[in-house]
Amino acid sequence: MSGVLVILEDRGGRISRLSWEAAAAARILGAQRGVTAAVVGAQTEALAAEACGQGFARVVRVEHALLAPYTADGFALALEQLIRAESPDYVVFPHSYQVRDYAPALACRFGQVLISDVVAIGEGPVFTRQLMQGRFNASYRHTASGPCFVSVQAGAFRAEPADLPAAAPESFAPALDAAQIRTRPGEPFRSSAQTVDLAAAQRIVSIGRGIREAANIPLVEELARALDAELAASRPICDSGWLPIERQVGSSGHTVSPRLYVAVGISGAIQHLVGMKGSQCIVAINKDPDAPIFEVADYGIAGDLFEVVPALIAAVKAGKA
Amino acid sequence: MVFPLPTLAEPQHFSLAERVLFAALAVASVALFWRRFGPILRNILRSKQDADFHLFPAGKRIRDFAGEVLLQGKVIRQRPLAGFAHALVFWAFCAFALVSLNHCAALYGLGFLNPAGAVGRFYFYFAAVFALGCAVGIAGLFIRRFFVRPKWLGEELSWESGLIALLIFVLMASYLGAFFVPAASPAARILWWTHAITLLAFLPVIPQTKHLHLIFSPFTVFLSRGSFSRIPPLVGDEDFGLVAGRDLTRIVSLQAYSCVECGRCTEHCPANNTGKLLNPKEIVLGLRGYLNELGPASEVPLLGKHIAQQAAFQCTTCGACEFQCPVGIEHVPIIVGLRRGAVNTGAWDDEHGAKLFLALERGSNALGLGAAERDKFIEKNALPIFDGTQEYCLWLGCMGSHDPRGREIVLALVRVMHYLGTSFGVLRKERCTGDAVRRLGNDLLFQQLAEANLEALAQNKVTKMLSICPHCVRTIQEDWKEYGAPPAIEHHSEFLARHLAQLPRGGNQEQIVFHDPCYLGRYRGVYDEPRAVASRAGLLVEAPRHRERSFCCGAGGGLAFLGEEQGERVSHARAAELAATGAETVAAACPFCNSMFRDALAARGEGAPQLLDIAQLAARGLPEQGN
Amino acid sequence: MKIIVAIKQVPERDAPVRIDPAGTWIEESSLQFALNESDAYALEEALQLKEKHGGEVAVVSAGPERVGSTIREALAKGADRAVHILCDDLHSRDALGVARLLAAAIKPEQPDLVLSGLQSEDLGLGQTGVIVAELLGLPHATLILNVEKTETGVKVKRELEEGWFQSVELPLPAALSIQSGGNKLRYATLMGIKRAKTKEVRILTAAELGADSAPVVRMERIALPTKQKSTQMLDGSPKEAAAALLEKLKFEARVL
Repeated sequence: MSGVLVILEDRGGRISRLSWEAAAAARILGAQRGVTAAVVGAQTEALAAEACGQGFARVVRVEHALLAPYTADGFALALEQLIRAESPDYVVFPHSYQVRDYAPALACRFGQVLISDVVAIGEGPVFTRQLMQGRFNASYRHTASGPCFVSVQAGAFRAEPADLPAAAPESFAPALDAAQIRTRPGEPFRSSAQTVDLAAAQRIVSIGRGIREAANIPLVEELARALDAELAASRPICDSGWLPIERQVGSSGHTVSPRLYVAVGISGAIQHLVGMKGSQCIVAINKDPDAPIFEVADYGIAGDLFEVVPALIAAVKAGKA
Repeated sequence: MVFPLPTLAEPQHFSLAERVLFAALAVASVALFWRRFGPILRNILRSKQDADFHLFPAGKRIRDFAGEVLLQGKVIRQRPLAGFAHALVFWAFCAFALVSLNHCAALYGLGFLNPAGAVGRFYFYFAAVFALGCAVGIAGLFIRRFFVRPKWLGEELSWESGLIALLIFVLMASYLGAFFVPAASPAARILWWTHAITLLAFLPVIPQTKHLHLIFSPFTVFLSRGSFSRIPPLVGDEDFGLVAGRDLTRIVSLQAYSCVECGRCTEHCPANNTGKLLNPKEIVLGLRGYLNELGPASEVPLLGKHIAQQAAFQCTTCGACEFQCPVGIEHVPIIVGLRRGAVNTGAWDDEHGAKLFLALERGSNALGLGAAERDKFIEKNALPIFDGTQEYCLWLGCMGSHDPRGREIVLALVRVMHYLGTSFGVLRKERCTGDAVRRLGNDLLFQQLAEANLEALAQNKVTKMLSICPHCVRTIQEDWKEYGAPPAIEHHSEFLARHLAQLPRGGNQEQIVFHDPCYLGRYRGVYDEPRAVASRAGLLVEAPRHRERSFCCGAGGGLAFLGEEQGERVSHARAAELAATGAETVAAACPFCNSMFRDALAARGEGAPQLLDIAQLAARGLPEQGN
Repeated sequence: MKIIVAIKQVPERDAPVRIDPAGTWIEESSLQFALNESDAYALEEALQLKEKHGGEVAVVSAGPERVGSTIREALAKGADRAVHILCDDLHSRDALGVARLLAAAIKPEQPDLVLSGLQSEDLGLGQTGVIVAELLGLPHATLILNVEKTETGVKVKRELEEGWFQSVELPLPAALSIQSGGNKLRYATLMGIKRAKTKEVRILTAAELGADSAPVVRMERIALPTKQKSTQMLDGSPKEAAAALLEKLKFEARVL
């Protein structure tokens, strides 16, 4: 065939959100020719069922007992065989940790290079990806013949769930031999039961002097719980002994880079900023609209934290319900 | 009737036995002295030569020698009572040199001061005045040490000091006593022998005790490095600072043996005063102990048994110790030297220190922040870019570029410069001056930073610079010299003071206490200029420790970038002192002091004085800009 | 254990990078360069393995002459020797082209372990290490935070998403892409840089390695992204602001 193949990824038994975004990107490339979706694993029935009815021309179950657990060798071998059988023009992946692990090697087997971490696809097609830590955009073009491998960045394409009539999935049984799989993966684990690991936290709610007294801390604690975030603080809070020192963010505490950092009542002294500037998304809530913390924030609310935080807790809880 | 003046009784005739006995005792005394002193002298002379030592110009050396040694300036200034008592003893020793020589010579009939002659008579009376002062002085010092017991003299009572005091007292008493006994009496002979034996006993005690400073400290003061807190260059491919005994230079060894253990350095050390391990006196004594045990050729690391690495890295390089030291010991180059030895060889393993070094290996500022943030600040506030046509290159520094408070200081200074019509520009890109890494002992990074900056300044044809940061000023002006010729730079307090007449007067009754930054005061000798600026904005009051004796904020020596402090925070101690003056405003002149006090004053809660830089004080009275 | 670490020199993190007039690459003339961050962690892991188990650490780096300073830095930190693949057209090669150069230089060394950083700070492709493994026929693992030697090979700690980790065992020889943050970096020292002067740096050219090939992917243009990061202030009553914030976090920043 010629067309577009998208690889959908298993995340806890369901197809990951990022995979749907990759599918959206694949549809841009395969508007005329249709998109084939592949699910890979030892048991792919449920995943395939989830994919069917999402507007794919075909859904292929790449299934083999050796495909669970994930190994780069297994996935690369299986998909190599699928791609040789299908000869698509484009192979689209979600740019997940798993894809980063095997897709470059897979592309290499076809003498190709994965165009990784794509944020936009234009006419041509021209693929846009970021350079220099997001400071520039660069446009790439595939100049060789053969399949073009592309992975897409999270959040760049809008996944639109469809509810279309389900086509029956097809099966593809790759030929795999246990000897070909050279790595032995273990079970996933979380880091050992530490009381707090700010450096590894995905979300952090941090409090500063604006909290005024220790008795007010439970309010922000509740926000942290609602957001499934760790509680942290600036130095004066830990100095006062209101929170233990291991929760201090800043030059004499931890350096953190969570996906979300909510600074509550923190004015933004330099000692604090150096500890959290690497956060992906920074929210600042502060009474003083001129507080330096707003300089580094992505989103700011200039207001009384004792009003804003309860409102935010209510909104988060309402969103979950 | 003429009242017979008592005159010094000297036995007229000494027997052969006496002469032989004295000669034997003298030989024994000198031998005992040399047995201890010889190895010490050898340790000093076998230490490495100081590559950067220049005797000339000697003007400053002579002035220092006169002021500190002959006039006992430092000794008296800081502890007037005890210092004066010490000066009395010192001056008596000087006056006594001739007397003692004559005393021994007289035994062999070679006395050159005749008690009967006018010159001799005059000199004996002259010396007697000093002897009287000395006896009073040494008795006072004895009482102080053994009964008053100030804490900086150490916990343990020093029996050596007691013995020495006793010997000195006996020397003086036996000299003075001779004025009151008849010349030919047995009492005169007893006094003569008492004096002589005391003298011979005194000599071997000197090298055994801290009284070695009697011999060394005049040399130490005269042979100093030449300027305050001067960090010597490293020489050759095998010099990494003070790693082991082989790296100790003659100046360092001489200073180690000169320490008189008075504890002035400890008394003024901000680290020691806030419960840290560092005690500058113990660093010096640690070096002495090392030299005595292992000698100046040893490969055993200096940091270890004799000096704790942790202590060396608690120093804020405020220089109070060095400034106070009456015997000319230069603590800061020693401590920085020890740090260099640890850092240049990778022996220092500190999480925050490594973070600082790596930030500067991979980027341009000590805070690890992006240059883009600085660009934004420059753009947002429309700061002109230096293009060679302006008078000043305004050096922002890491705090002026990135710290919200530092930026406010820069903007206040910019308002003043606009008002004065002074042309200036900022560099498109600055790298850290290397102050912190210099004082932490990372010579590799410091060299890279200094060279890159010097090149950028030369390319931009900068000739005059201005900075809000005393650390930048010091590092650019003095430390960069090792790698090139930096442009002239001044601190904004100097600039503001010069233009003060053109600025509006504050004229209110607000009480302002000025905190002397170490790197502006002790390091640069600038005390009056920032005070002039502050005085124009309100009523200047002084903290108990001010000017030369100002107490550090805790940020210097790279410590602003290191982790949690042991014990009390230096900044809190100083902030409490400043707040206790009752002033409504604390005036600072250094962005590091400012950031330290910001937290420290805030921690004091409501009613804490406000904190402003002198640039902000100067800009306060300016008319609002009409745009 | 013989370990090869592939390192890359990249523009300093906060360097004022500008696009060249042709719009095809950045202006390199006024830039300062440094060792790529995750490569620094790869080097650190290699040095720690050597310190524990003995052996040798060699670094290999491709790029123009200026790369020499980064190579010296690696030697100063403790690498034993280096291979410098001299080429002036690094940025116009695709990941496969670069990996072929590296693989050609590494192959005759027959190392036990090939380490690389996870991705470069300039191009951010995150593939070179994996492709080198593929070209050398080695088993590989990526996003590695820690490496332990076992009797049969190595056991590594691999980072998964959302705070999960996994142990993976690999036989030797193997290739690993090292994630930043797994260990503590050492700083460069004066003593290290002086000692580095006497260490071997072998210079190879792309032509000598015979690894030239036409790119299959071409970077055509570089441009500034249209949207720069700026702070969005959310106004309204606390309730409105909270609702607006949640909306933004969910659908714009996508962090919830």
